[in-house]
Amino acid sequence: MATPDRGIALGLGAVALAYLAVARRYPLDTLSAPGPGAFPLATGAALFLVAAWLFVTARPAPGAAAPTPMAVGTWSRVPVLLALALGLHAAALPWLGFIPASFLLVLAAARLMGLSGLWRPLALAAGLALVMRLVFVSGLGVPLP
Amino acid sequence: MSDLFVSLTPANLLACLVGTVLGTIVGVLPGLGPAGAMALVLPVTIKLGPTAGLIMLAGIYYGAMYGGSTTSILVNVPGEAASVVTAIDGYRLARRGRAGAALAIAAIASFVAGTVSVVALQVAAPRVARLALAFGPAEYFAFALLGLVLLSNLSGESRPKSLAMVLVGVMLSTVGMDPLGGAVRFTFDVAGAQAGLSFVAVTAGLFGVAEVLAAAARPEPAPAVQGVRFRELYPSREELRRAVPPMLRGTVLGFLIGLVPGPAATIASFVSYGVERRVSRYRHELGTGAIEGVAGPEAANNAAAGGGMIPLLSLGLPFTPSTAVLLSGMLLMNVTPGPFLLRDHPQVFWGVIGSFYVGNVMLLLLNLPLVGLFARVATIPGPWLMPGILILCALAAYADNNNVFDVWVMVGAGVAGYAMRRLGLSPAPLVLGLVLGPLLERSLLQALTIGRGDVRELWASGPAAVMLAAAALALVAPLVGALGRRVRAPA
Repeated sequence: MATPDRGIALGLGAVALAYLAVARRYPLDTLSAPGPGAFPLATGAALFLVAAWLFVTARPAPGAAAPTPMAVGTWSRVPVLLALALGLHAAALPWLGFIPASFLLVLAAARLMGLSGLWRPLALAAGLALVMRLVFVSGLGVPLP
Repeated sequence: MSDLFVSLTPANLLACLVGTVLGTIVGVLPGLGPAGAMALVLPVTIKLGPTAGLIMLAGIYYGAMYGGSTTSILVNVPGEAASVVTAIDGYRLARRGRAGAALAIAAIASFVAGTVSVVALQVAAPRVARLALAFGPAEYFAFALLGLVLLSNLSGESRPKSLAMVLVGVMLSTVGMDPLGGAVRFTFDVAGAQAGLSFVAVTAGLFGVAEVLAAAARPEPAPAVQGVRFRELYPSREELRRAVPPMLRGTVLGFLIGLVPGPAATIASFVSYGVERRVSRYRHELGTGAIEGVAGPEAANNAAAGGGMIPLLSLGLPFTPSTAVLLSGMLLMNVTPGPFLLRDHPQVFWGVIGSFYVGNVMLLLLNLPLVGLFARVATIPGPWLMPGILILCALAAYADNNNVFDVWVMVGAGVAGYAMRRLGLSPAPLVLGLVLGPLLERSLLQALTIGRGDVRELWASGPAAVMLAAAALALVAPLVGALGRRVRAPA
C-alpha cells in the first residue's frame, strides 16, 4: 500500500536525480583540488540515499495499522488564486512599479481572503500603499521600482 | 566590555524598543514566527547600521518568546511553538480566574531566565570565540555537519524527512558561484541567480508567504480574548514561592539546550515541563492549572534563546532559523560573526549582548501593563492582517538585492513552503541547510586541498574526529534502529 511518505520519497529521489544530471556538467577535478562539481555530486547522492531511506522505512509493515493520513485539511482554491496573484504582482513590478502593484495585490488578497464589500478592501489597499510609500520610500529611502 | 553601554545610546534604545514590541506582537500572532518577521524587517535594519540593526533583530528574536505566552494563557492559542506547553496549565489557570497571576509569572520567569542566560552568554561567548581561533576548515566542516545531523534528529519530525530537507537546503545553496573557484552553477543563464538564491527571499517565502497561503486555506474566526486588569497582575506569595524552583531549573535546562542545534526553545519548554512532572513537589497538579507549568517552560524557552546566540556569535554557526536570519543580517551589514567578531566589531558584539539586558527590562515593563493590548492583536481578522504580510514579504525580497528575480524566488519559496506544510515537511531544516551549505562546501574543499587530497585530513585533529564520530553515530544509530524494528516486525 502506498503511503504519503513513499510519494514524498519518490519526489525527493526525482529531485536528487535531476540535480545530479545538471551537476554532471561541472568538472570534478581531483581530490587535492576539487572542482565545482564535487560538492554538488556528493550532496545529490546523499539526497538520493536519504530518499531511499525514507522509501524503505515508510513501507507499512504487514499487519501494522494503516498510516495516519496527512493533516492536509480540506482543498481550497483560495491559496492557488493567491499564489497566482503573487506571480502577477512579481510580473507587474518592473512596468507598474512597486506601490501600484502592491495596491492591486492587497486588493486582490483581501477580497480572496473574505474581506467583504468594495470599500473595506479598497481602504486597506490604499492605507497599506500609503504606509509603504511613507515608511520605506520617503522615510528609509529604500529604492523601489 | 565598556562597549556594553553602546546599547544605551538613544538610537540603540529605540531600536531595542521597536524590536521587542515587534517581537512581542509576532509572538502573540500564531503563524509567522520570529524568523519570518526578522526576514521581513531586514531592509529596515540594514538602513539602521550594524549595531542598531542587529539590536532590533535580536529584540524581535527574544521578544517573540515573551509574547508567545500571552495568547497561550488568555485564549489557549500559542503564538509560538515554544509556548504550546505554557497553554496546558496557563489556560487552566486563566479559566480559574488566575490569568493575571499566570501572565505575571510568565513575564517574571522570562525576565529571570533571559537575564541569567545573557550573563552566561556574556561569560561564555568570548571564551568560545578564543577557542574557535584554533579551528581550521576540518573542524568547521565537522561542526557544521554535526549541527545539521543533530538538527535532523531533534526537529521532531521523521528523521529522513528532516535530513532530506537539510540536503535540499544545501542543494539550493549551490546555486550561483561556487565558493572557491567562482564557477557559476545551476543558474540556467538567469542573471539574477548568479549571486545565489537570496536567503531573505527564501525565508520570507517559506515562513511569510506560506503562512498567508495556509491561513487562506483554513480561515478561522478570531479568538475571543479574556480581559485582564492591571491590578489583577499580582501573583500571590504562595504562587511566587512555588514558581521559583521550576523557574531556576528551566533557566539552566533552557540555556544548555539552546547550545544544541535544533528548535531549542520548543524542545527546552517541553523538556522543562517533563522535568517538572518528575521532580516538582506539586507534580500531581500539573495539567490542571499549576503555576509550575507556566514558570518552568517560559523560563526554559527564554533561556534557550540566549544559549542559541553562543554558536552564532562565537563560531558564526546558526542552529535555528532565527539565528540564521541574524547571521544573514550580519553579513548584509558587512559584519562577519565568528571568532573575529569581538576583535573586529567589539561595539556590535557587546552592543547586542548589552541590548539583551535592556530588552529584558523593556519586555517586563511592557508586557505586564500592556498585556491586554498585545492579546488583542491576536484578534485582528486574517483578511485585514495577511495582505500586509504579503507585501512586506515582497518588499523584503526585493530590497535584499534590488532585484525582481528575488521576488520570484520568494513566490516560489512560498508555494513550496505551503506544499511542504501540507506534506508534513518542516521548512526550518531547509533554511539551515541553505545558510550552512556554503560553509560546509568551502570548509570541506579547503580541508581536502590542505590535505593534498587525503580525506584523513578531515579527522586528523582531535576535535574534528570527535565531532565527525558524533555526527556518524547520530546519523547511523536511528537508521540501524529503524531497520532493526522492521526486521523484528512480525510477518
